[in-house]
Amino acid sequence: MTTYVLRRLAGAVPLILGIATIIFFLVNLAPGDPTLLLIAPGVTDEVVQQMRENFGLDQPVHIRYVRWMAAMLTGDFGYSFSHSRPVIDVIADFLPNTLLLTVCALAIAFVFGIVLGTIQAVRQYSAMDSVLSVVLLFFYSMPSFWLALMLILTLSLSARNLWEWPIWFPASGMNSVDYDYLSLAGRIMDRARHLVLPTLSLSLVLTAGIARYMRGSMLEVIRQDFVRTAQAKGLPERVVVFKHALRNALIPIITLVGLYIPVLFSGTVFIELIFAWPGMGRTLVDAIFTRDYPLVMAGTFFFACMVVAANLVADVLYAVVDPRIRYD
Amino acid sequence: MNRIVLLSVVTVAAACGGGDSGPRRTVSNEPFCQQVMPAVDAYMAEARAAHPTPDDPRYGGTVVVGGIGELADGMNAAVSSDYQATQHQQFVNLMTLIDYDENGEPRPYLAESWEVADDNTSITFHLRTDVTWHDGEPTDARDVAFTFETVTDPVTAFPNAAFWDHYVKGPDGVEVIDDYTVRIHMQPHAEFLDPFRSVGIMPEHLLADVPREELKQHPFGTQCPVGNGPFVFFSHDAQDRWVFEANPGFPQALGGRPFLDRYVYRIIPEQTTLLTELLTQNVDVYIAPPPDQAQRIIDDPNTELLRYPFRNYVFVGWNARRPQLSDPRVRLALTMGTDRQSIVDAILQGYGTVANSGVPPFHWAFNEELAGGIAYDPDGARALLEEAGWVDRDGDGVRENADGVDLAISVKYNNGNQQRQDIAEIMQAQLADIGVALQPQVVEWATLLQQINTPDLRDFDGVVMGWVVEFKLDDMDLFHSDRIDQPYAWSGTDNPDIDRLLEALSATVDRDEAMDLWAEYQQVIMDEQPYTYFYFPDRLDGVSHRVKNVEMDARGEWLNIREWYIDPESR
Repeated sequence: MTTYVLRRLAGAVPLILGIATIIFFLVNLAPGDPTLLLIAPGVTDEVVQQMRENFGLDQPVHIRYVRWMAAMLTGDFGYSFSHSRPVIDVIADFLPNTLLLTVCALAIAFVFGIVLGTIQAVRQYSAMDSVLSVVLLFFYSMPSFWLALMLILTLSLSARNLWEWPIWFPASGMNSVDYDYLSLAGRIMDRARHLVLPTLSLSLVLTAGIARYMRGSMLEVIRQDFVRTAQAKGLPERVVVFKHALRNALIPIITLVGLYIPVLFSGTVFIELIFAWPGMGRTLVDAIFTRDYPLVMAGTFFFACMVVAANLVADVLYAVVDPRIRYD
Repeated sequence: MNRIVLLSVVTVAAACGGGDSGPRRTVSNEPFCQQVMPAVDAYMAEARAAHPTPDDPRYGGTVVVGGIGELADGMNAAVSSDYQATQHQQFVNLMTLIDYDENGEPRPYLAESWEVADDNTSITFHLRTDVTWHDGEPTDARDVAFTFETVTDPVTAFPNAAFWDHYVKGPDGVEVIDDYTVRIHMQPHAEFLDPFRSVGIMPEHLLADVPREELKQHPFGTQCPVGNGPFVFFSHDAQDRWVFEANPGFPQALGGRPFLDRYVYRIIPEQTTLLTELLTQNVDVYIAPPPDQAQRIIDDPNTELLRYPFRNYVFVGWNARRPQLSDPRVRLALTMGTDRQSIVDAILQGYGTVANSGVPPFHWAFNEELAGGIAYDPDGARALLEEAGWVDRDGDGVRENADGVDLAISVKYNNGNQQRQDIAEIMQAQLADIGVALQPQVVEWATLLQQINTPDLRDFDGVVMGWVVEFKLDDMDLFHSDRIDQPYAWSGTDNPDIDRLLEALSATVDRDEAMDLWAEYQQVIMDEQPYTYFYFPDRLDGVSHRVKNVEMDARGEWLNIREWYIDPESR
C-alpha cells in the first residue's frame, strides 16, 4: 500500500506541473493584458511601458514561463496586480472561505445522499421510494445557480416579508454586520445561519446524484447471498442493513468523492457570486477578467492540487474500505 | 458515528467562530499598515475623549450601503477613477478642497475661501486650520501641494489626466505660500474649479516618500487608508465589505462628528440578492438598482426609490475610419432610423431621457432648443442613404454602394450587460427596415477595450459604450483631431469646426459667454453624428425608511452621508 501511495504521489508531481504549464500558456496567450484596464488618454505610452516592465510583461513568453516556474517551485507565487498584495496573501484570505463552503456542502450531500439512498433501497417500490425518486430527480435537474436564487426568494425574502416565519435566512455574506459585537455563541449561530442557503444550493443537487448511486449500489448488495444468510440467521434488520449491507454498498460511493470535488469547485463560482461569499472561485473569475496572471495561475494551480489530492485520497480509501482490493 | 459528527461540527464551528469578544479586525501585515493603524487608533481614543457625543437622539447606529462593485484602488485618489471609489474619497474618508451645492455652485469644504487672480491665471486657496488626518497630523498646504504634484505627474498614471490640461503641471504649478495657503497656477479656461471638487487631498507625511510609479500598488489605497474626512477607516475585507467609523474630531464648524456611529459598504455582485437584502432590511441603501427592480422598491412599505437625472450616457460610437461610416449622412441615417424613445421606454422602463449630445439635460450648458433633437424618421433615413449613394440594387433588402459593397455594419458590445445587448439587437431590427445589415457582436470586456482603444487596431465598426461626465464637460479626448491617435478617439473625428469649438469652450471662463458656444457645439455634433447618442439613464437608488435625511442628486449618492441619521424609533 505505501509503495502504491508513494508511486501515485510521484506521478502527481509531473501531472500538476503539466497542468500549471498549460494554464500558464492559456492565460498568457489570451488577448489583452493587465495594463489594458489602465489605459486612459492621459496615460502616456512610456507609463504603460513602465507598468509592463514592472509586471514583467516585456519579456517573451518562454522567458516569463521559466521565471514563473522557478519562482513557484521556491514557493514565491508573485504579486497580484488587481489586489495589490502578494498572491499568497490573497489566496490565504479567500481559499478557506471556499473550502468551508465546499466541505460543508460535500458533508451534507454525502450524509443525506447515503441515508436517502439506503431508505429508498430498503423500502423499494413503496410510496416513500416513489416520492423520494421524484423529489430527488427534481433537484437533480436544477442548475445550482437557479436553485440558489429560488432559495433566496423563498427562504429569505418571502419567509421574512410575506409569510413571516420565525426562522429566515440572510440572503448574502459570510457573517452579518454586527458579527464583531456578538458573543462566541452568537458568532457560531451567525456563521451557521449564513452557511445554510449557500450550502443547500450546492448540496441539494449533489445529494440527488449520490442518493441515486446509493440506491442502485444498495439494491445490488441486498440481493447478495451473504445478506440473505444474515437475515436467515435472525439478525435484526438494523444490523443487517447498517453493519453488513451498507459498508459494502459504500464502496462505489467513495469514488464519487474524487469525481465530485472538481464539480463542486466549478459550482462554487456561481454560488459565491450570488451569495456575495468572498471565496476563491469568484476571485479567480475576477482575476481572469482583469488579466491578473499571477493570481490566475496560482489559484488554478491550487485547485489542480486539491483535485489530484482528492482523487488520490479516494483511491486509497477505496483500498482501505475493501480488503479485496490490493495495490502492488 | 454520532460522536464523530458532533466532534466535527464543534471543530468547524469553533474554527469559524473563535476569538475574544469586541470588534476585532485584522490589520494587514504590510509594514506600512502596521505602523499607521496604531496611530489611527490612538487618535480615535483621544478624539472620543475630547469630543463626547452630544445628547441628541439622532446620534448613533450603523448604516449599511450595498453596491455591486468593489471600490477599485480604494481611497487612493491619485490613481483611481472608479465612480464609487471617488465618491468615498470625496465624501466619506477624504476631503476635497471644495464641493458643490444643489445648484452646482462651488462652496468651501477643506478650503475655507479662495481668490481667483484677475487674469484667471491662478487660484489661491485658504485652508481650514482645524482639520486633522486620522492619525493626528494636521492637514495643511503641503498636503495640497503634494496631491497636486502627484496627480499632474505622468508617472503616477492618474486616469483623468485631462483634468489638468490647462494647469501648470508638477511643482511649478503649485506654490505653498504659508502653512494654510496654497496657490495653483493655470491658463485661463472653463470650469477651473471642477477638478478640486473631484480629487481628494492625500496625506503628504505618509506618502511623499513612495516612488510615484508604485503608488498604485501601495497598501494605503485598499488596506489602511488614512483620511481627514467625516469617517475613519476601520477595516476592509476584500470583495466583502468596508467598515468606517464616525470621526469625533471632524471640525465643529462643518457639523462635527457625523450622526452615524458606523458606516458599512457591502459588495454584493448579484442584483437579485442585493434587492432581497434591501427588502429584508439587511441593507439600508441599494446603489443603482436596474429599472426593472424599481417597482418592487416603490411597492415595499419599508423602502423608497430615489430617482434623479445623472451624468452618464449610453451611445453607439461609429468608427468613421471605416469606409461605410465615413459619410456623416450615413451616420445621421443610422440615428434617424432608430426609434430611441421606444428604446428608452422598453429598456429603461421610462427611467431616462433620449440624448443628442454629451451634455446632460440638467446641465447649465444644455441647449433647450435642441431638446427635440433628431426625430425618428425612417423615410428621412432612407432618403439620406439614397443621397449618399447606398441603394438596394439587387433586391436582397440590404443596400449597396456603387461598387456593390453591402451596407453591413457590425456593432460590438461587452458581455454581461443586458442593456447594451438589447440596444444592439433592437437597432438591428429597426435598421433592417431601412436596408442596413447591422450585426451585433458580443466581446469580453478586456478584449473589447483592447480592440477599440489600441490606436493602430480600432477593430470595430460600431461599439455600444457608456461614458460618465464630470460637471466640467470636456469632449476633447473624444473628438479633437489632435487626439485622434489617443485611446478614446473611437469616432476618428476630424472636423475643423468641432476642433475650433472644443478649443474655444475650453478657454472660455465666463459661463454666459460660453452658452452660445455650447449651443453651436451641440448643433455641430448633431450634424457630424460621430455617435448615435442613446440616452441619459436616470439614476435610481433604493433607500430604507430607517435612514433619514438622505439627499442624492447628480453630485452623487454619498454627498451628505455625514448628515444621514437612523430613525431613533427603528434602531
